[in-house]
Amino acid sequence: MKHSRATFLAVAATAAFTLSACGGSSGELVEDPGAEAEAEGGSGGEEGGAEDGEYDIALVSKGFQHQFWQAVQSGAEEKAEELGVSVTFDGPASETEIDAQLQMLRSAIERGPDAIGFAALDPEACVPLYEEAEQAGIPVVEFDAGCDSEVPVNISKTDSMVAGALAAEHMAELIGGEGKVGVVAHSQINSTGVERRDGFVDKIEADYPDIEVVDIQYGDGDHLKSADIAKTMLAANSDMAGLYGTNEGSAIGIVNAVNELGMEPGEVTIIGFDSGQAQIDAINSGVMAGLITQDPQGIGRFTVESAVQVIEGEDVEEIIDTGSFWVDQSNIEDEEIQAMLYQ
Amino acid sequence: MSALLEIRDVSKGFPGVQALQDVDLVLDRGEVLALVGENGAGKSTLMKILSGIYARDTGTISIDGEQVEIAGPRAAQELGISIIHQEMNLLPHLTVAQNIYIGREPRVGPMLQERALRRQTQALLDEIGIRLRPTAVVGDLTVAQQQMVEIAKALSFESTKILVMDEPTSAISISETEVLFRLIASLRERGVGIVYISHRMEELREIADRVTVLRDGRYVDTRDIGEVTDEEIIAMMVGRELSAHHEDRPERQGGDAEVVLSVRGLSTRGLLSDVSFDLHRGEILGFAGLMGAGRTETARAIIGADPISAGTIYVRGEEVRISRPDQAVRRGIGYLPEDRKRHGLMLEQDVAFNVTMSSLAQVRGPLGVLRGGKARQLASSFVDALRIKTPSTRAMVKNLSGGNQQKIVIAKWLARDCDVLIFDEPTRGIDVGAKEEIYRLLHDLAGRGKAVMVISSELPEVLRLAHRIVVMSEGRVTGELANDEADQEKVMALATKNIDEGDVA
Amino acid sequence: MTESQAPAKERQTSDEGAEAPPEQSTGGWRGRLGQGLQQLLAFGTLMALMLFFAVASPNFFTVSNLTSILLATAVIGILAVGTTFVIITGGIDLSIGTGMTLCSVVTGLLLTDMGLPLIVGVLGGIAFGALVGFINGFNVAVLGLPPFIATLAMMMVAQGLALVLSGVRPIYLSGVPGFQQIALGQLVPRIPNAVLILFALALVLGVVLTKTVLGRMTYAIGSNEEATRLSGINTRRWLLGIYALAGACTGLAGVVLASRLSSAQPQLGMGYELQAIAAVIIGGTSLLGGRGSILGTLIGALIMSVLINGLRIMAVQSEWQTVVVGIVVLVAVFADNLRKRRAEGGGRA
Repeated sequence: MKHSRATFLAVAATAAFTLSACGGSSGELVEDPGAEAEAEGGSGGEEGGAEDGEYDIALVSKGFQHQFWQAVQSGAEEKAEELGVSVTFDGPASETEIDAQLQMLRSAIERGPDAIGFAALDPEACVPLYEEAEQAGIPVVEFDAGCDSEVPVNISKTDSMVAGALAAEHMAELIGGEGKVGVVAHSQINSTGVERRDGFVDKIEADYPDIEVVDIQYGDGDHLKSADIAKTMLAANSDMAGLYGTNEGSAIGIVNAVNELGMEPGEVTIIGFDSGQAQIDAINSGVMAGLITQDPQGIGRFTVESAVQVIEGEDVEEIIDTGSFWVDQSNIEDEEIQAMLYQ
Repeated sequence: MSALLEIRDVSKGFPGVQALQDVDLVLDRGEVLALVGENGAGKSTLMKILSGIYARDTGTISIDGEQVEIAGPRAAQELGISIIHQEMNLLPHLTVAQNIYIGREPRVGPMLQERALRRQTQALLDEIGIRLRPTAVVGDLTVAQQQMVEIAKALSFESTKILVMDEPTSAISISETEVLFRLIASLRERGVGIVYISHRMEELREIADRVTVLRDGRYVDTRDIGEVTDEEIIAMMVGRELSAHHEDRPERQGGDAEVVLSVRGLSTRGLLSDVSFDLHRGEILGFAGLMGAGRTETARAIIGADPISAGTIYVRGEEVRISRPDQAVRRGIGYLPEDRKRHGLMLEQDVAFNVTMSSLAQVRGPLGVLRGGKARQLASSFVDALRIKTPSTRAMVKNLSGGNQQKIVIAKWLARDCDVLIFDEPTRGIDVGAKEEIYRLLHDLAGRGKAVMVISSELPEVLRLAHRIVVMSEGRVTGELANDEADQEKVMALATKNIDEGDVA
Repeated sequence: MTESQAPAKERQTSDEGAEAPPEQSTGGWRGRLGQGLQQLLAFGTLMALMLFFAVASPNFFTVSNLTSILLATAVIGILAVGTTFVIITGGIDLSIGTGMTLCSVVTGLLLTDMGLPLIVGVLGGIAFGALVGFINGFNVAVLGLPPFIATLAMMMVAQGLALVLSGVRPIYLSGVPGFQQIALGQLVPRIPNAVLILFALALVLGVVLTKTVLGRMTYAIGSNEEATRLSGINTRRWLLGIYALAGACTGLAGVVLASRLSSAQPQLGMGYELQAIAAVIIGGTSLLGGRGSILGTLIGALIMSVLINGLRIMAVQSEWQTVVVGIVVLVAVFADNLRKRRAEGGGRA
């Protein structure tokens, strides 16, 4: 790994820091590793806060542990630098911590930035806070996943239904338009999980009558759980033609399951989602047929751009589809694809 | 006029054992009936039937001449039967008033009426002559005061006319016992019938009118207390004459025996102040005093169970530092706690487990692997030597009687071969026959050169056992008596001596 | 005197003990039989479940699926076996889930960033787990913190440290030769090594629990900590050892997990502790301490995996799977209570 990591000697020092972070909201954690990931060594002084004349934009994401969010962050920071604004980037430790995320949103509102960018873990829970932001006169733009509210100006996201359908098209093509497929999804609650699943299932049902979606199970994006799920699906259906994992953890779980069962690459068609080194390796080795990637840096860029436009009173598009792309062995080395393979 | 309570031919069997067989008991209004019997005689089973916890198999129970069915504890309460258990059922964090009326608090809608509750409690306490504040927190009270709360609770049910007291004095001091007895006398005047379970003969003589004896689940006899001697009662209980060596008292020991344990100036933050004494080889040293005099605290301080603030301990003349019980054990000092179930035994484990607890080093092989056979052998040698009644060394300790449990704690320390044994209330809750055996055992131990310290709240026991008696009061040693110069009066005088007045003034 | 403050439960057992005549004290073997019965019951449940699923789905009772079940049991099983010791002392360890993750990250760092030999990485992860356990033991035994609180805090510390140390990203270990063989190699054909590790560990720790001084102290402390202390046992020292042992198991689980995933995933682990504790309880170990067995835990862990696997094979929805597992835990605790009450009734008679 190329990134700087705290060495063992730093453990003692960071322990205290971690403890305090855990005691309050785990959001404080974000500053540090995020900064570390960005700029080697230059972690300490970057506490978000606008310098004179710069717009201050607070981004609250769904997390930071997935490389996806780090790519969003880097896209956002790239755009921020280009436009001469300042951004902060926060997110809970895991994507189940809805409460922690709301706490971060509240802190962001209290800080009073010029605009807030938010990716909702839960579409309902954020509604009251949005109203607070509106009262405080802070415009809200959304990214990745929205909230059921009239407050936000726009959303920059991958259209997950479209992405799911794209996965379905490629699945159908690869398995020859017939057979059984299974879905290992990462959530039955949050919108990306639901839409990536529904986009896939709806497309299969609508266009491919000879393909049967035999099972949908949820592994919370946990690699181990997803692997065990995939193995039971394969045990229950010896003639399974394809498996679709709706995020990185789910997809890697499927890959591990196939490896553990000693199946030949290609014996079952695996389609993944998002990116990450393990999925790229799996594509290169032929275990995984391909994956649907989003453009997380694009999400970050569009979010910051929208925020700035809103602050300056310009009109923005209500929904910006930042796009989804099919990646397989044939195009994985392409430069424009490489840029989207956040890792 | 029919009796207040009449139990006829009641039997109760459990799988494998007949706990009660045709038992009778008659209680009149305003009477105190002593119910005695060895542990296992069926007293508690009978009382549990009376309080509706168990259902009887056969027989009848009548109250005021009418046959009744006691379906459960609540039904018992409605019939006017209240039981004060040996182990109390109070909530330590609540106040006296809250405890007495728990579940029956005066309220308006969902809101509790604390003031009304206090007033109501005060009226009750005044009526029965108990001097306690309704707002006192029960956990802060003495055991005797808690007992009073239990009694007040029992009497707070208007209907209570039968009161069962199960060893009410087992944990309270002499002066507190007197308060309890005055209360019993006043209850009796109000026509309440009292069943009083106790092992203490003196007490029974003081307050009971008649005594009913049970043995092995059977009814033996009921007699007027004035008509029987202690020996007769005991004979009825155990079914045989006890060798009446009650009058033997130990000889004065030669003062030249080696001093095994020497304590100088022992003090603790809370209570003990400048406690000093010597314990010789082959000697039984009695510790007398009232509750809270600091005897248990002295023992615990010696073995390092509680921290000390000052003082020195010498074992065979050598100064030792003991801050944890394992260090005391390494010096050969074993402690047999007052409350053996809570501090001395692992009730859910078997006999061998408990006996070998302190001497695992002897039955341990390489890598800390225990030799099961050797451990059982060790345990069974002590089971035989101490005549512990148990089906096997695999029997769970909680199923043994109090006397046998105590012997297991003794066996634990004998297995470890401790030179100094500190017994804290060694016969509490143990029946008469077993008591004698424990006494003999203590004498044997001293005879074999062990140094024995015995803490006891029963003066006759101390006088009977100890070569010398150390008397404590309010955390200090107030006197030391050789057995032949000691009697109950002298010990009591020292035990009630108020040192602060004498010293400070 | 503190008599009045004794927990009601303890008081009740004392009460019963006093009245039981020695001649009828058959509770010893009855209790022992009860313990065996509980294990038999658990084993019977396991067999019944397997039978049920085998009938319900032709795909359940296949060599490949049974292997999958065993492999799925490995990580939780290792955690559960270790934490059985802590639970028998009457304690609880909530830090084993995230502690496991932390250890897998440590192993990952040792093997990648530091490039140390395989064996160092593996032993380092286990030793780090033992250290985490030792700190738990220190907090519980020396500082006197309630185990629930002490290990809850450690759970959070471990989660945070795992993220900090890893730089909040997975550490891939596919480049470390032989590492994946630890969990997925097959010394015995068709049985992944992770499964062998679980069974070997259970065997060794089963012996430790029943045949050694450490095991004896585990039961003694759980039965009555104060009596153990007053028996001249340095209970602190033993508690430190017991927690460290459980921690070492956590470390081993971390290594096996990382090996199976070929990576250390710093965000994993939360919730694994509850599954492990559930397995221990299904296996008949009492949360009150003093009672329990490794065999029971192993069976408990297998019951959980069989149940989840079977429900998945039958394509039962995830949310219902969770409900069913919850009900099984409830039933297990209820059955245990029932058995205990009967054993006590027998003892009293």
